[in-house]
Amino acid sequence: MTIKVGDIFPDTVLTYVPYDAKNPEACGLPQQLKTHAAFKGKKVVLFAVPGAFTPTCSEEHMPGYVQSVGEMKSKGADIVACVASNDQFVMHAWGKSYNVKDDILMLSDANGDLGSALGLVNDGTARRMGPIRLARFAIIIDDLKVVYVGVEPAPGVTVSGAPAVIAKL
Amino acid sequence: MSIKVGDEFPQVQLKYVPYDAAAPNACKGPELLDTKKDFVGKKVVLFGVPGAFSPTCSVAHLPSYVSKVDELKAKGVDLIVCVSGNDFFVMDAWGKQEKVADKIIMAGDANGDLGRATGLSIDLSKVGLGAVRLTRFAAIIDNGKVAHLDVESDPTEVTVTGADSILSAL
Repeated sequence: MTIKVGDIFPDTVLTYVPYDAKNPEACGLPQQLKTHAAFKGKKVVLFAVPGAFTPTCSEEHMPGYVQSVGEMKSKGADIVACVASNDQFVMHAWGKSYNVKDDILMLSDANGDLGSALGLVNDGTARRMGPIRLARFAIIIDDLKVVYVGVEPAPGVTVSGAPAVIAKL
Repeated sequence: MSIKVGDEFPQVQLKYVPYDAAAPNACKGPELLDTKKDFVGKKVVLFGVPGAFSPTCSVAHLPSYVSKVDELKAKGVDLIVCVSGNDFFVMDAWGKQEKVADKIIMAGDANGDLGRATGLSIDLSKVGLGAVRLTRFAAIIDNGKVAHLDVESDPTEVTVTGADSILSAL
């Protein structure tokens, strides 16, 4: 059962290492983000990538959001977040490589809880990427209600990319 | 049942992105490291870390090996491999950040094959790192046989699995 427009976004726990403006090189202590508590009353753009540091994600998907995050926020997005099955240390390092600071929350779903709850998880074992990998998608959540779901049907970035999301904001 | 000294090291295939001196920041297509075929006739130091980019692994464990590569090779080590439960793209990026170049093969065990085959996997879901990770260990594998193995009793620390400990065991 896959998430669709009109559903309530699931309440799951994700982890992240917060950006510390005073100490940007530090790898701070990981924190938990409970999706309902963090997203309540807010407009959230959440995009998911199969793998941090992988070619498509790094060259096509992530840069679009890094460049457009300001535009998304001016169109009403309160939070722009990236999630993957990688752990929080990897997500933090990947975000640092783009200098996202705290503009984009780099979230980890290493335990696969969000992927399972959304029905958007794939088995990456054939490519030696592990049994739990998030699909590539973008979701717009408005006060916990899903208002847009764009799941990539094939390799590449179309409905889950920044331009597609901006058009829906 | 975990691997121990005297055992044949299990045969597992891990992926890694090879270093290309002509294009050091490129991410070339991954290659396979076969822990049986590629270890034949060689002295291998294999160390496992719970998480690439994580504090202990980045500050204490990997750097200890990067700084001692020449000493390890002078003592007869042919191949040094770092492995974790992360995938090979992550291991490649971490290796680039730590300036490993071609000194250490940064292999990914995202499928958990090595962890299961050696009995050295650990469930780190409570700290958000996932259920099938490698614990912190260091092994010397001589022509396919485990000649030395140390496993940290506390995986957040580096004591018996650092490069200095391995050097004194060689």
